[in-house]
Amino acid sequence: MTLTGEASPDATASPSGPAARAVGLVKTYGASDTVVRALDGVDIAFERGHFTAVMGPSGSGKSTLMHCMAGLDTPTSGHVFVGDQEISTLDDSGLTRLRRDRIGFVFQSFNLVPTLTARENILLPADLAGRQVDPGWFDYLVEQLAIGDRLAHRPSELSGGQQQRVACARALIGRPDLIFADEPTGNLDSNASAELLAFLRRSVTEFGQTIAMVTHDPRGAAQADRVIFLADGNVVGDLAAPTAEAVLEQMKVLGN
Amino acid sequence: MWKATVKGLLAHKLRLALTALAIVLGVMFVSGTLVLTDTLHSTFTTLFDNVYQNVNFEVRGKAAFTGSAGTAVRNPIAESIAARVRSVPGVQYADGSVSGYAQFVAPNGKAVTTGGAPTIGVSFEPNPQLSSLHLRQGKAPTTPHQVVVDAGTADKYHFAVGDQVRILLAGPPQTFTVCGIAQFGTANDLAGATIAAFDLPTAQQLFNRVGLYDAIDVLAAPGVDQNQLQRAIARVLPPGVEVVTGQTVANEQSGSINQALSFFSTALLVFAFISLFVGGFTIFNTFSIIVGQRTRELALLRILGASRRQVFRSVLGEAAIVGLVASLVGLGLGVLAALGLKALLDAFGLTIPYGPLVFQAHTVVAALVVGIGVTVVSAVSPARRAVRIAPIAAIAETQATEDRSSNRRIVIGSALAVLGVVLLAFGLTKPAIQLVGIGAIGIFLGAGMLAPLVARPVASALGRPLARVLGISGRLGRENSMRSPRRTAQTSAALMVGLALVSTIAVFGASLSRSATASVDDAVSADYIVTNGATGAAGFSQSVAAAAGRVPGVTAVSSVYNGQFEFRGSVTNLAGVSPYRLSETVTLRMDSGTGAGALAAGDLLVDTTTATSKHLTVGTVVPVKFARTGDGTLRIGGIFKPNALLGSYLVGDQVFLSHFDQPLPVAVLIRSSQGASPSGEAAVKAGLSSYPSVKVQTQAEFKKTQQAQVNQLLGLVYVLLALAVLVALIGIVNTLMLSVFERTHEIGLLRAVGMRRRQVRSMIRSEAVILSVFGALIGVAIGTGLGVAFAASLKQQGITDIVVPFTSLVVFLVLAALLGLGAASWPARRAARLDVLAAIAAE
Repeated sequence: MTLTGEASPDATASPSGPAARAVGLVKTYGASDTVVRALDGVDIAFERGHFTAVMGPSGSGKSTLMHCMAGLDTPTSGHVFVGDQEISTLDDSGLTRLRRDRIGFVFQSFNLVPTLTARENILLPADLAGRQVDPGWFDYLVEQLAIGDRLAHRPSELSGGQQQRVACARALIGRPDLIFADEPTGNLDSNASAELLAFLRRSVTEFGQTIAMVTHDPRGAAQADRVIFLADGNVVGDLAAPTAEAVLEQMKVLGN
Repeated sequence: MWKATVKGLLAHKLRLALTALAIVLGVMFVSGTLVLTDTLHSTFTTLFDNVYQNVNFEVRGKAAFTGSAGTAVRNPIAESIAARVRSVPGVQYADGSVSGYAQFVAPNGKAVTTGGAPTIGVSFEPNPQLSSLHLRQGKAPTTPHQVVVDAGTADKYHFAVGDQVRILLAGPPQTFTVCGIAQFGTANDLAGATIAAFDLPTAQQLFNRVGLYDAIDVLAAPGVDQNQLQRAIARVLPPGVEVVTGQTVANEQSGSINQALSFFSTALLVFAFISLFVGGFTIFNTFSIIVGQRTRELALLRILGASRRQVFRSVLGEAAIVGLVASLVGLGLGVLAALGLKALLDAFGLTIPYGPLVFQAHTVVAALVVGIGVTVVSAVSPARRAVRIAPIAAIAETQATEDRSSNRRIVIGSALAVLGVVLLAFGLTKPAIQLVGIGAIGIFLGAGMLAPLVARPVASALGRPLARVLGISGRLGRENSMRSPRRTAQTSAALMVGLALVSTIAVFGASLSRSATASVDDAVSADYIVTNGATGAAGFSQSVAAAAGRVPGVTAVSSVYNGQFEFRGSVTNLAGVSPYRLSETVTLRMDSGTGAGALAAGDLLVDTTTATSKHLTVGTVVPVKFARTGDGTLRIGGIFKPNALLGSYLVGDQVFLSHFDQPLPVAVLIRSSQGASPSGEAAVKAGLSSYPSVKVQTQAEFKKTQQAQVNQLLGLVYVLLALAVLVALIGIVNTLMLSVFERTHEIGLLRAVGMRRRQVRSMIRSEAVILSVFGALIGVAIGTGLGVAFAASLKQQGITDIVVPFTSLVVFLVLAALLGLGAASWPARRAARLDVLAAIAAE
């Protein structure tokens, strides 16, 4: 399923194909003797307008995969594409622009800039690029995330859930090709987790946003359109239209 | 616990290295100055001991009084005394000597100048055992046309035996034949002084000593008891004449040179102290930040059972080790600095005779005490803060909040500042320079403690234009500088001190400069002013005035003399000026009595300030004393309004000449019928062409020279203060590095969401610019206040105008911003190069 529409500005540039994909992705750490293969030739694609969850035990390589695909880390070999653009060959400045203009991030530890207000944090990527944002879109996001009365506050004055919602608004404001969410509910209580997951789900369904999320939580993964399981640097499972039970089942298998 | 201290040190090598650098520079300055001082002291002591090693006794006039410069003023003694001394049994040889002003003219026609050292003429002592001059080439002078030149001058101007050399004297200049080239003891010359040696009768003639000697040097026969001989000589001497040992003279001579040099070393030590003081701020700040960053670690130590005292000792121990290492490095570099300072002295014309560098134990002690002391004292307050960290902080999420004790800071800071102002004011009026210094320290400490109060709003205001121009990176830099007002204030405090001192000097210098030129307008009505071209030179020939008088068109000529006399028991300066057509050359505004008339009548004039403070009125007869003529009285003939050229006490030239021994005029004032015109100036210059040491200037030119001299002095002080500013910049670099380190995660995040390296750099630079301009602003404000206070306190001393040089102050602020940019370059590069992934992972 490929959603096209006004919500995805780059959709017209490359209307078909996945939002991001990796081909033969290898990432190794350390020198010859003690080499660790964090990613061992991964082929993966995040479909446009889909909500994809990536799961796997600790050390399975899921974080490395996300980092490589988000332009935060450079692969040892293999190719990473965001849209039609190969990013494995970009220099720092190219990668920075890619992250700024085409990718959004939601981190486990919220990662808001402490000196900036909520509003300033949301506008940060646009400010960095020297761009204006669509005020209607801004208002809409703020309303959807129910943070309208918190905009003038600094992160230290916000609850965890509020901070993460601000982070979501920051990720969505530029309508990026792809949002990477790295255990976004890891530091939230169950209520806040549920709200956040519901919002992420809605942003996929309603705005056609593409999201890739690393998570440990089977209930979180169940919100996704598809779950990819990693172990020892390889894709070991792929579950479409998952339920929490199915995810749990698969994890048990992998846990052995 | 020591293990934790040492491990802590090793973990923070880089930031501690930067901190240490601040101390290294100060200690280097201190030890360099001490090594230089000791070296000079030893060099001159050795030189004079060597020169006087064979002179057993010196017979000379008793000191009439000691001048304000600490040098004794002595009268010459009668020639006939030499014969009496020779007749004393046990005296093997005795001969008289005289000295006076003699200045060489270089082959290019310009006067040989020394840049401060004297240009002296002496009688050549033919007995090599007694003579301080040792012929390197040629022979001793025997005729009135021969001269021996010191080797230093001969080498520099290529004088050879047989050459003709023109010499400027108190009387008209004369030409001599070089008959020999001599060393002074073992040195080429005497600390840069030039020496011309004539045969004794010629010297007596030239220096107005016919029938007189300045001193008689005595050689004892071998095996004679020295004490008995000294007493025997003393018995044949008339009253007012004394006999002292050669060693005494050697000690006096080296003592007076060392005293002159000690002014220099004291000045250097003051600047060394200033940079250490600034360094102390840097250390305080670094340790505060480190303690803050290590809150968790220190709390963990407390959980594991470390006592408060152990934590305190751990932090201070770290400071002590940093201080020790920095002091040792500074000590080593100080020896190199001594060589540099020696070269600096050379550049000022003080040639230092060759001698090995003297490295004494007290230099090591001073370096270690000062270096470790400053470091440890500066770390006490951060260490106390470390002690207050609760063990729970190790597991609690929240960081220690700051500015808890801001009320206490306000109270202590205000108290220090007020105390400082009071001490300063008291010190300035007294005057007591130490109190002024302590007061200034109080003001700086107080300002440093109060600065956090205004740091946030000021940083916000300063950052606004940056945020506007640079966008998000400027805004983030601004936010960062406002984030911790205390850190911002502490970091910029060092720069505040540096800039405060620079501004003080700027205000003081501008006031001095303006006052100097204003006083020329106020004091002089002459068209031309003739002075000695070289700074620090004694004066010039008496015959200059006569030569000027012969220039066509010149209507009035007035010589100005300067000397010291005792007025009601205290030594003070006295000026002499010729009363003839006085009003054409000097502006003398009388308050009471008469001016020129009283001077011509042989009366003393005093200025209104002196008259008021000493309760003098016209007609009062006051006791005075002159070195040459002894006790006497003078009648007050008039009271004049303060005149910067003439000073407080003034007599006519006839009176002056009768009391002083061959004085040299310091200035000749000329009025011409052509006024101050190029043709008139050319005529005067042509008339004085045989006196190459003098400089003829119009009033306007003279004022410019005065200003240039003030500016030169200012330049030197700025150079010395630059070290303190450098130390302050190291502090800024250090804080920024620590901040970058502390915000690794945050910078990584910014990079992750798309901040470009250039934007990261510009963010750090914005913060640095705000920090430095903040410090500079407060510094300039305090410095302007201090400068105005200093200038105002010297009103009596001739600083009549107070000028605040706004352009200079604005330039300082701009410079501070640029220096901040410079200081940011390394931290900014480092921040931009952070590995994004590692930075995000760091938590």
